[in-house]
Amino acid sequence: MKKIITLSIVTSSLALAGAYKVPEQSLNSMALGAAYVANTKGADTAYFNPANMAFMPSSQYMEAGLTWAHLPRNTFRGFQAYSATEVYPADNESEIENLQLPFLHYVSNPIDKLRWGASLTVPGGLTKRWKDGHQKLFAEEFTLKIIELNPVASYKISDNLAIGGGLRLIYSEGVVDSDGGDIKPIKREMKGDTIEFGYNLALSYRPIKDVNLALTYRSNIDLKEDGDANLYLSNVGKQYNTSVTVPLPASLNLSASKKFIDKYTVEVNYERTYWSAYKKLDFKYGSDIQSALVEPFDKAKPKKWKDTNTFRVGISADVTKNITVMGGYSKDESPIDKKYISYELPDADANIYSLGVRVEASDTLSWGIAYLHDEKDKIKIKAGENISGITGTFSNGGADLVALSMQYKF
Amino acid sequence: MTRKIKGVALSLPLLLIIGCGDLDQPKNEKVKGGEVVVNFSAPLMKKTLISKGVIDANRTVFGYKAFKIPYTTTDEEGNEVEASGLFVIPTGMPSYISKVGLSMVSDDHGTIFANDEAPSVIGDNNGAPDGSAIILTSMGGFATLQADYIGFGESNRHYHPFVQKKSLANATIDFIKTVKTFASDNNITLNNQLFITGYSEGGYAAMATLQKIESDGELTVSMATPMAGPYDLNITAFGVFSQPTLSVPSFMADVGYAYAKTYGKEVSSVINEPYASKLPALLDGSLARPDIDKELTKKTTGKDGLFNPIFVKDFFQNPNSWFREAMVENSVHAWSPQTPIKLIHCEGDDVIPFAISQLTEGTMRAMGAKDVSLVPVESKLKLDVNVTHSECGVLAYKVTTEIFSKVREAMIKQAMAQQ
Repeated sequence: MKKIITLSIVTSSLALAGAYKVPEQSLNSMALGAAYVANTKGADTAYFNPANMAFMPSSQYMEAGLTWAHLPRNTFRGFQAYSATEVYPADNESEIENLQLPFLHYVSNPIDKLRWGASLTVPGGLTKRWKDGHQKLFAEEFTLKIIELNPVASYKISDNLAIGGGLRLIYSEGVVDSDGGDIKPIKREMKGDTIEFGYNLALSYRPIKDVNLALTYRSNIDLKEDGDANLYLSNVGKQYNTSVTVPLPASLNLSASKKFIDKYTVEVNYERTYWSAYKKLDFKYGSDIQSALVEPFDKAKPKKWKDTNTFRVGISADVTKNITVMGGYSKDESPIDKKYISYELPDADANIYSLGVRVEASDTLSWGIAYLHDEKDKIKIKAGENISGITGTFSNGGADLVALSMQYKF
Repeated sequence: MTRKIKGVALSLPLLLIIGCGDLDQPKNEKVKGGEVVVNFSAPLMKKTLISKGVIDANRTVFGYKAFKIPYTTTDEEGNEVEASGLFVIPTGMPSYISKVGLSMVSDDHGTIFANDEAPSVIGDNNGAPDGSAIILTSMGGFATLQADYIGFGESNRHYHPFVQKKSLANATIDFIKTVKTFASDNNITLNNQLFITGYSEGGYAAMATLQKIESDGELTVSMATPMAGPYDLNITAFGVFSQPTLSVPSFMADVGYAYAKTYGKEVSSVINEPYASKLPALLDGSLARPDIDKELTKKTTGKDGLFNPIFVKDFFQNPNSWFREAMVENSVHAWSPQTPIKLIHCEGDDVIPFAISQLTEGTMRAMGAKDVSLVPVESKLKLDVNVTHSECGVLAYKVTTEIFSKVREAMIKQAMAQQ
């Protein structure tokens, strides 16, 4: 397998804000619950709305930060059915995940009407580990790490209209381990990675003073994780070349912001995420695998995710000349129907609450801290409702995130 | 300050860079001289057999651990060939067995065409118990040895010398010798009991093996149970060529092809075109029997038949026909074995007539064999109906396992008494 550069600090990734896409990639975006597209200000403008770079005062901007994410246990209470006559109690809890996610943004000085910038982010990912029980057969570990380098440029068409766009360079790693343990004598260890490309576009319009309108689009990128898989049948394993493709879906953001009495800014945001690109999870092997393993490990698993809507509102207040307080709320929709939900990502609709503060320590340096709480709804699955034989209730889950960052202007 | 921040920003991505390792190879048990390809514990084996309706819950079942073992043997022309076989041992056996050791059964497989039907290839590809070794090992508690034969497994590039006694016997005997070394190297305790069996082509191979073992004098066989083999090839060939149609054309096409190759004849002098030209591809191990049969005619001979009419005419009319001499040379029914033999055969066999075993029993007795008997499967199992060749296999293996078990039991009792 090819040796690939990776980001070791991203020891794992997280599922947040709709399946495995992570929109919060800076201090401001986390504090505002990702209601941060029309009224972007700092170096993170390069990522959230590159068109807005055209309106930024002449200077260079940089932001570097780190997000600590705590993912509590998912709790499952219920049964796992393998057939009509094989139904087992399957109460269990997934592992706690504590993760660190870096972000880095930069915006250059303008060159006439042009400006460029770049971001290094973790725009998606998930990890779910079940260390025992029936869940281990499906997702002993299911990890998808995604790292994006996003060079962008903007062009100022007029004083109130700008466009932007960029190239998305994605490096991704996938780990899929499943182990039947005492339940079924089968086991899979899979590791793969890939480099993929996409693009993003942005449009900003400022019709009147203190009102910003924005539209951004990020393209779908199919992550074809190429690697190896060890498949075991009753403790005897063989290695196969393997690939599996999952999409990092396209998303469309429509945002509007309004500043009031020169102090308060409210932004509303609507995001459409095109999760319907995720139709199936289909592992491909370089050669025929053992016949007893075809059903669990080779047969494509239908996903049939649906496109989702997310509504966000964010408010920021300049409480003093140097201190800005921010808060946000999002209503996030899960793309996964109960019929297709599985242990690797028991995702549910969520309410997301966030707040944060940014302090300008000097004319050039500022720092801040933000906190976000993701509250997932329970998922209740009735007998016969799920194609993987899951009957019961998923609860807890969600996430708590803290981001620390420094911004520098020079 | 500016420099510091720039430095941190620039070095952050570098700090993050690290090599990503490959996925390690599967952590399989290491053995000397082979590899573990199947390892089903006794409880798993029992659960599997119950779920398939093979046994009930009261039946004792042993685990199934199979090793793919490479070894060297010799083909019909005397050339060394790198071959392979499957060695299956029971696990979860009673503790006294470790003192007594496992009894070996050399089990020669029946006619196959596709390489992935060979025992070691099945084990390697499927990772699951398969075929007669389930009966012999998991239900019978024997160590089962299955040579792939030349032409399959590691020697897949070599043509398979179909029903040719020298190479079949070599492949089997060399595998038995290799397994003995393998077992010694890997702390698997075997006793001195060696049983020989096989079904269909395997029945023929078992008889050829026994004949060579007795001729060489290196190994001792406790008992042989050849099952439904074409021991008298000459009579079999007369029977087949006398019929206007072939029930399974691939069998006789393989005979014609393999014998032409071994005896240095043009395949087209034996098999009519276009079939002669097709056979190298049809018999290269990539196809299974049904796919090969589809490409052949069922008509035995004539201009549009499978066999060249000149060849068939020569076989019938010329006592010195090379093929007739080859059939006689490769027949394994006319000798006087010293080892106890039980010829197991279904009376309803529609491919290898029961009469072949009757003839073999009579011939061997007439030539002085003292312990040769015929075991009709239907009578032994008290069945009301006659059973065909394909349905007989499983039943024949059950009968064989029962017969071998009784011999083994006597040996174990004797060994325990001596302790």
